Amino acid sequence: MPLVGNIRDFGLSDFLYLVDRGYKTGCLHLSRTDEMASLYFEKGKLLTATRKDDNVPLTDLLVRKGKLTPVQAEQAAQAHQNQNGASMSQLVIDLNLIGRDELQRVLQQHIEESVYALFGWHEGEFRFEQGQRPEPTAPIMPMPLPVEHLIMEGVRRIDEWGRIKDRIPSTDMVVKFIEQPIERAKGINLAADEWRVFARINGKDTLAEIARKTGMSEFDVCRIVYGFLTAGLVDVIRKPAPVPMLATGRPLAEAPRIKKSLVTRIINRIRGM
Amino acid sequence: MQTVKMVISGAVNAGKTEFIKTISEIEVVSTERRATDDTRLIKKETTVAMDFGRIAIGDDLVLHLFGTPGQKRFDFMWEILSEGMLGLVILVDSTRPETFRETNRIIDFFMSYRETPYVVAANKQDRPNAWSPEELRLALRLPAHIKVLPCMATDRESVKNVLLELLDVIMQRSED
Repeated sequence: MPLVGNIRDFGLSDFLYLVDRGYKTGCLHLSRTDEMASLYFEKGKLLTATRKDDNVPLTDLLVRKGKLTPVQAEQAAQAHQNQNGASMSQLVIDLNLIGRDELQRVLQQHIEESVYALFGWHEGEFRFEQGQRPEPTAPIMPMPLPVEHLIMEGVRRIDEWGRIKDRIPSTDMVVKFIEQPIERAKGINLAADEWRVFARINGKDTLAEIARKTGMSEFDVCRIVYGFLTAGLVDVIRKPAPVPMLATGRPLAEAPRIKKSLVTRIINRIRGM
Repeated sequence: MQTVKMVISGAVNAGKTEFIKTISEIEVVSTERRATDDTRLIKKETTVAMDFGRIAIGDDLVLHLFGTPGQKRFDFMWEILSEGMLGLVILVDSTRPETFRETNRIIDFFMSYRETPYVVAANKQDRPNAWSPEELRLALRLPAHIKVLPCMATDRESVKNVLLELLDVIMQRSED
């Protein structure tokens, strides 16, 4: 069954996180009024992205960008007819029409820009079709792209408190790393200000304290942390409040202690229902 | 007579009333009123106060089930209901991603109040377009140790399974 919803409620960056962590393979279709876009993933990494107004085969795209001549494009198209489902990307490399690294660079730049523009959509229907793959002639990157980098860049373009506050309701919240953040950060290029915030994360300081220590505005710190959060590098938790005490001297916030024998009785009763 | 309490929470129309009705031994005491705000777009009648169900464990022990109101303006009830609770079930309508943020807000609320044992029940798994429990875990960004369980609040065995899984979590924190 496809996953459906609206990016007003479940944002593109949230979806990219789900695709990444769920190692999803399939296509995310986005649509609003007369615009449509499709993002294809394999095991959580982006293969290609197309938009309705710019949905061209790889060879046409490479001709447009001056990387192939029309004659070479025709040669590739004819060779592709004799292939059994192989991707055009692999074929143009095999035919030595373009180097693998050069093809990756050209396609990555093109696809990244298509995806970044989608972060500007504040609403639109999404539908994720599991297992759906792109056409072999589509501009598929030789090396699928990790999405953490896309999330960070997309979040850099967010300039509204509203979306950030969904995840970071207060600057009194504490930022802490998830386990092995460096491992996950490998796919991400951090800007200087992002490194300044990254270096201040210690699991104790609040966002307001980080802003004060770095001399940055609270908005900028929250926006950067929102990016880390969305990319799955950090977690944001409430600062533990002082625990109010009951008259008995027992802390109010302590969950009631319960005996195993009592839990066992409830389990047995429910099993027998 | 000793009573213990479990709380069933979740966003509007997550299935809290149905969940309690399915397992309670008594007619569920619901205070349903005609919805007066945007919830009316979802259902004509919704729980604006709370649901109450009951399971007798023995002559000397009773389990009470409380369903929290889903609407934001009844947040103050959550704190009252959560006082002294044994555990918490967070119900999610797996077919409505527009409720996931609200679900996170509810989890945040209960966890900021106290470290309560809880499980998340991915309700309406029988519907087309239901997000699977693992997809919900990712969407809600729940840590690996929190159980996300498939659920159909209208099915007694399914509701029993959710409660038993919650009791398993409670058992791990209980004392000899």
